[in-house]
Amino acid sequence: MKYIPLAAIALSLAAVQPVPAEARSLVLAVGGEPDAGFDPIMGWGRYGNPLFQATLLRRGAGLELEGDLATFWELSEDRLTWRIVLREDARFSDGTALTAEDVAFTFNTARDAGGLADLSVLAQARATGPNTVELHLRQPRITFISHLASLGIVPASAYGETYSREPLGAGPFRMVEWREGEQLVVEPNPHWHGGASPFERVSFVFGGEETNLSLARTGEAHLVAVPPIQADWAPAGMRVLHVETVDNRGVMFPMVPDEGQTTDAGHPIGNDVTADPAIRRAVNLALDREALVQLALAGHGRPAYGPADGLPWDNPAGYLPGADPIAAAAVLEAAGWQDANGDGIVERGDLRAEFTIVYPASDSTRQALALGAAQQLQAIGIDAKPSGRSWDEIEVMMHANAVVFGWGAHDPLEIYSLYHSSNAGLGWVNTGFYSNPTVDAYLEAAEAANSFEASLPMWQAAQWDGSTGFGARGDAAWAWLVNLEHSYWVSECLDTGASQIHPHGHGFPITWNLQDWRWTCQ
Amino acid sequence: MKGWLVPLLYDRAVRLLWLVPLASVGLFTLVSLAPIDPVQAYVGARVALVGPEQREAIAAVWGLDAPAHERFLVWAGNALSGDLGDSITFNAPVTQVIADRFPASLTLVGAAFLFSFAAGTALGLIAAATRGRWPDRIIRGVAVVLAASPGFWIALLLIAIFAVGLGLLPACCAAPPGLTAAEVGLADRLQHLVLPVVAVSVVGISPLILHTRQRLVAFLDSPAGSHLAAHGAGRVWLAFGPGLRHALGPALTVHLAGAGELFGGSVLAETVFAWPGLGQATVQAALGADAPLLMGIALATLLFVFIGNLLADVAARVLDPRLRPEARHD
Repeated sequence: MKYIPLAAIALSLAAVQPVPAEARSLVLAVGGEPDAGFDPIMGWGRYGNPLFQATLLRRGAGLELEGDLATFWELSEDRLTWRIVLREDARFSDGTALTAEDVAFTFNTARDAGGLADLSVLAQARATGPNTVELHLRQPRITFISHLASLGIVPASAYGETYSREPLGAGPFRMVEWREGEQLVVEPNPHWHGGASPFERVSFVFGGEETNLSLARTGEAHLVAVPPIQADWAPAGMRVLHVETVDNRGVMFPMVPDEGQTTDAGHPIGNDVTADPAIRRAVNLALDREALVQLALAGHGRPAYGPADGLPWDNPAGYLPGADPIAAAAVLEAAGWQDANGDGIVERGDLRAEFTIVYPASDSTRQALALGAAQQLQAIGIDAKPSGRSWDEIEVMMHANAVVFGWGAHDPLEIYSLYHSSNAGLGWVNTGFYSNPTVDAYLEAAEAANSFEASLPMWQAAQWDGSTGFGARGDAAWAWLVNLEHSYWVSECLDTGASQIHPHGHGFPITWNLQDWRWTCQ
Repeated sequence: MKGWLVPLLYDRAVRLLWLVPLASVGLFTLVSLAPIDPVQAYVGARVALVGPEQREAIAAVWGLDAPAHERFLVWAGNALSGDLGDSITFNAPVTQVIADRFPASLTLVGAAFLFSFAAGTALGLIAAATRGRWPDRIIRGVAVVLAASPGFWIALLLIAIFAVGLGLLPACCAAPPGLTAAEVGLADRLQHLVLPVVAVSVVGISPLILHTRQRLVAFLDSPAGSHLAAHGAGRVWLAFGPGLRHALGPALTVHLAGAGELFGGSVLAETVFAWPGLGQATVQAALGADAPLLMGIALATLLFVFIGNLLADVAARVLDPRLRPEARHD
């Protein structure tokens, strides 16, 4: 009998207090389906949330590194060994404990797998205790820390051929079902060390852009990625979310004159006009990037001045302000470029200030950028000819012509790849044969730093150290144009927390903090 | 026993025996000549974060470091023993990729096949029966417009009208978002099938309408048709009675021979409707220069079309005794 009053109280309380919102399920349409499955060793989880796996570190809203599985991490004096201490409460979603052996196994396997994680600098990963791991590098390389933040840890005992389709990890979610090409359904991992998600289920629908729009309009999805041009017409019940990115577009300049050289594949190298720093600096000064944002992105973007605008390793001191045709003309004149024949285009001796800006014909944004930039450059007497080509043609032309490329990663290694002279002519990175010994030295010093924080001033100095650098104020190796904005429609009831500056690639990166999302409606 | 069936099957088996190797060599040549570097496609936007050593390692893992003819010989040798290799795009055996996606495609293409056959033949018969009057004009008009419309545009139009505008049918996918396969009922599945099937059917319907109409018109104008009409047979009865027998055989031949086109149309429809079939996989494989998967899908499609044509020949002979050789001997 004693329990009846209690039950009555409980009942009356339930009647008075709002009923707790029922556990919800969430439907997202943001693309990002990994065709090859959810195996971090083959490359899953490098953008956005690895969902199923936990990483040693993670990047916060300001891209600062925080511990996830690791509670302590340090680089040895010789900068060749990472010592990592793991938290003790990490468990895989089947309930087994995550140990140092799993971490060592993951790194060693990824090194040898020939997947998308380039761990070639790793000599060996070794478990030194149940919760301590050492990662031995072949040479100092501070950007290796990106792997600590992106390589999801897999269980040594359960990793095999079927892993990519039946992933098991210590991340915030576990797989319920993956219907390839259609939908991924996940649910919170009850063993996750980071707390509980308020959603009992999250589904990712994989369709095209049109599918995303339709799902939002029919109310079936709570968050969808939308093209910027359509973003402003959100359906009822949804708001527009614009996220800043370093998904950038810029014009790469060939840095060396045309001396008849070719690459091993026989592609021509060099361009006499763009090899002149005055031309490159004048282009950077003349471009009105705000106008390009309006023209090519319908206003949904921001001007770009470097490869990593707003990231911790960016150096705004290296920017040139732009939209200043008078200053640009002065730079040209000081370098001896004059319009002697009155055709509106400047010359120096026999050399006319003309070059081709190549863009991939399939990409309407890059086309608009190339056309807009070319028109702006006419005003200072530079004849830039936009030319839409296929990627195969661009591969042939990209060492001798200016090209509209796009980059943007949460990893300063990209800067090293784009600007270090050892990468000159290598693949798609330093296609302009940029080479500056001072910049090389800064980039190498950055890689050899004894902590990620200590490397930041070195990356920044490579961009501009007060007298030289790859930035527009220095060698002006590129004319960066715009950073895209990634647009989403989000249910008015969904709070997606703080936004990171997104990397290249629209869609899945929005999920980086999925476990922190909250439902705000009853 | 049907005396014509065995020689037909034998003839087709011989044809398949030289067709498959020829197609394999041709396809592999095309894929190797395609100006896409599979490693580059695999690395994609991460190109600045994957160094040259790692690219070589990736190439080695997928056997892309060998010259094209060597890769073909290895592939052909394995294929003879039933192993079609591994797909670089999906990181899985090709046979598994195809087996996983084939049922969804078969459902879509099969339903579209039946629907377009029923709709196309019926509309063709009605058009012929009402030759020159308004139903005929409308049906012919629709057939010509459909024949000239790109399939994916029709798909977008269907979504805009029936899913977004009227809210009657789902906009995408093979099942409602947010549910697992086990939770999806048959009614849901059928509902999700409607728009994709209609979109895919569009490819097959117009030729069928026009062909059936032409056949029936020929019958109605023939002495036999005139004879029946002179005895007072109505046009509609003529069309769906004796006319149907005349039109059905050729219609089925046309339709089965066009099965390959339905398959092609499903590639686009699958992309628009996020339908998890082979069409999507084909697009991915082509973009990634995924030779083993492309070869596997091409061979599967070849078999599919080949069987479609074979069935067409058999069906035509079953439906129309005049085509059977022994009928001529009699």
